[in-house]
Amino acid sequence: MIPLSWWLTLAALLFCISVAGIFINRKNIIILLMAIELMLLSVNMNFVAFSRYLDDMAGQVFVFFILTVAAAEAAIGLAILVLVFRNRRTINVAELDTMRG
Amino acid sequence: MNYESYLFLALATLLVIAAGAVVTLRNPVHAAMSLVLTFFTSAMLWILLRAEFLGITLVLVYVGAVMVLFLFVVMMLDINVVPLREGFARYLPVGLLVAGIMAAQMVAVLGGHHFGLERYTAPPAVIEGSNTAALGQLLYTGYVYPFEIAAVILLVAIVAAIALTHRRREGVKLQDPGKQTMVRKADRLRVVKMPSDTREGHGA
Amino acid sequence: MIDTWTDLLPMLPELFLLGMVNLILIAGLFIDERRRGLVHFIATLTLAFAAILTLRDFDIDGRVAVAGGMFIRDGAGDVLKLFVYLTMGIVFVYAKFYLRTHKLFVAEFYTLALFSVLGMCVLISGGNLLTIYLGLELMALSSYALVALDRDSPVAAESAMKYFVLGALASGLLLYGMSILYGVTGSLDLSEIATRLSSGEYPKVVLAFAVVFIVVGIGFKFGAVPFHMWVPDVYQGAPTAITLLLASAPKLAAVGMTFRLLSEGLEPLARDWSQMLGFLALMSLVVGNFAAIAQTNLKRMLAYSTISHVGFVLLGILAGSDDGMAAAMFYAITYALMTTGAFGMIIALSNAGFECERIEDFKGLNQRNPWFAFLMLLILASLAGFPPLVGFFSKLYVLQAAINAGWLWLTVVAVVMAVIGAYYYLRVIKVMYFDEPEHEHALQAPGDVRVVLAANGLLQLLLTFFVGSLTALCVAAWQ
Repeated sequence: MIPLSWWLTLAALLFCISVAGIFINRKNIIILLMAIELMLLSVNMNFVAFSRYLDDMAGQVFVFFILTVAAAEAAIGLAILVLVFRNRRTINVAELDTMRG
Repeated sequence: MNYESYLFLALATLLVIAAGAVVTLRNPVHAAMSLVLTFFTSAMLWILLRAEFLGITLVLVYVGAVMVLFLFVVMMLDINVVPLREGFARYLPVGLLVAGIMAAQMVAVLGGHHFGLERYTAPPAVIEGSNTAALGQLLYTGYVYPFEIAAVILLVAIVAAIALTHRRREGVKLQDPGKQTMVRKADRLRVVKMPSDTREGHGA
Repeated sequence: MIDTWTDLLPMLPELFLLGMVNLILIAGLFIDERRRGLVHFIATLTLAFAAILTLRDFDIDGRVAVAGGMFIRDGAGDVLKLFVYLTMGIVFVYAKFYLRTHKLFVAEFYTLALFSVLGMCVLISGGNLLTIYLGLELMALSSYALVALDRDSPVAAESAMKYFVLGALASGLLLYGMSILYGVTGSLDLSEIATRLSSGEYPKVVLAFAVVFIVVGIGFKFGAVPFHMWVPDVYQGAPTAITLLLASAPKLAAVGMTFRLLSEGLEPLARDWSQMLGFLALMSLVVGNFAAIAQTNLKRMLAYSTISHVGFVLLGILAGSDDGMAAAMFYAITYALMTTGAFGMIIALSNAGFECERIEDFKGLNQRNPWFAFLMLLILASLAGFPPLVGFFSKLYVLQAAINAGWLWLTVVAVVMAVIGAYYYLRVIKVMYFDEPEHEHALQAPGDVRVVLAANGLLQLLLTFFVGSLTALCVAAWQ
């Protein structure tokens, strides 16, 4: 039998990888968006695992909604990314420094 | 250790490697493909957790739609990758350090002490009935209110994506069927009165 | 579970709002540019009717749970919602003028803004982790799109991107905390979580761990230091009409969310989260006020001033008592009314080719238009917290609640910071009254903007006469 802690550890590792990804890819928005998807995946992993071990479907329902919202979020995020690229010809975060102070 | 544990360990290792590749690979297309692998592996793990519907949805929605959208944008924007990599090596050690410390702390909290088998014993391996039916039943009864909000959120995404990126281009020639069918004879045909030809020598 | 249609009656204002947004969405496609004022009219009317429907069954002590406790209708929520409708109505008036002059007057503004209002209502009424999350996302996703509404502005696109990335990160952190909370308690329902937490034995470390993530998520959404990085950039980069929207009503929704999550759901863990909020409040007060002094752009200065005001709101919430929550709510309401005035003034003084957003642009406003200068004086003085304006009383109640809860040292810091903060508001007032005007841009603000602005400015003064009844309302709502 796999203990619940294994699943939670796996999700925690995914979470840390995504945080590290956000940290080291500060300049590349597309990888940033992917790292955020990873973070949501780790949350989903938590919910699915809890749902199984608590024998309660509510966790799975929550995951269903997170998947829906994440898809909507990705659509809006990529739309904004396209706008940034059209206006600036780059998606380099380091060059996004018009505002300072 | 049984068959399921070995399967878990194999898939978990693959998942962590694929996730690591997403955030470290040089090329955004390769990163996106690693993310696809991550989602596939997660889907298999979820099926191991008896969440069949969500596993399949993850493949269909994420791999099928969201990742295609990502790849589409990556290809469309034709991004110059080199400048995006600047600072990668500089941030890498700090990033790894932060992530390592975080991971150690999280594992300490979430480890076997609080979430071991003594506290949380897994329910029986075989679950009666269909997972999809159970989920569907909940969604359309107890969770109908959030379901409606989710629908509104999707609508917002449609409105926002169109409002932000759709452009009416200047100088593109398009057909307007409505206008075409509304055309009257008078719009196209002009009857011109001409003086009849009265030159001599043409008469019969 | 929803059994009969009458079960839905408490949700009537939200259902009405949803129906009207869809109508505006469709109507917006067919109404051409010349008659787009009609969309504005319908949108304002929608807010008015939603307010009337809310008032129809208004019961300050009542508490009705719909859809299995996922939607809570209670007095506190109703008060917050009424002020959300009011501030959005004010925002619409200012925004119409701004969007017209900047060629951004599109129907999508109203659709997205009303969707965001719907999200705020869902959030304020959320009785379940799931509906809190969905309401938050509905509100946030519409806001991201609104910031990027000016599609040809590189600055707006850039700030929308920053807002989006940090907002999505915040949602991820909040969700992680929620997942642990669900795993430990086994429930998504907030009142059920509270009952289980107070009765059962759960590992303290794990709960504190979950609370950290939830508080960090809330901190991001509020824009509290150290999670404030997005606030100045978004406030400065977004079109002023959108900044106005982001600075006002969402703060009320954030108070509602914090109330539902922390003081209803996690009430048994109050000791953990009030310590964390104390840290956030302290940092916000210090960083917000000092950074605001260095600014030359008024929008950016107001962004940092928002951060310091968030510190005050958190000060009320962390007191943990009913009085504290009432004070925080009163603060958020008055702050929303002040900030709409400040951004409304920026909009009223701007016109097609000129953005009145630097502090220098306010030089000699008194000579150009004494009435506007006086209104701005009232608004800024209220933001700074000078008696007898309403901003003074809201600060006073928050500080009182914090002292009663035993946060004396933090109260002292807050008072010192409020005094330091007065400096940068006074600087703008000085520029308005004692400097010579540098430019002669004609004031083009139409009648409705002038009327609303006058009401907004005078409200700072008039509300002081009603402080007693307004606070009584807030206190009654939390009991």
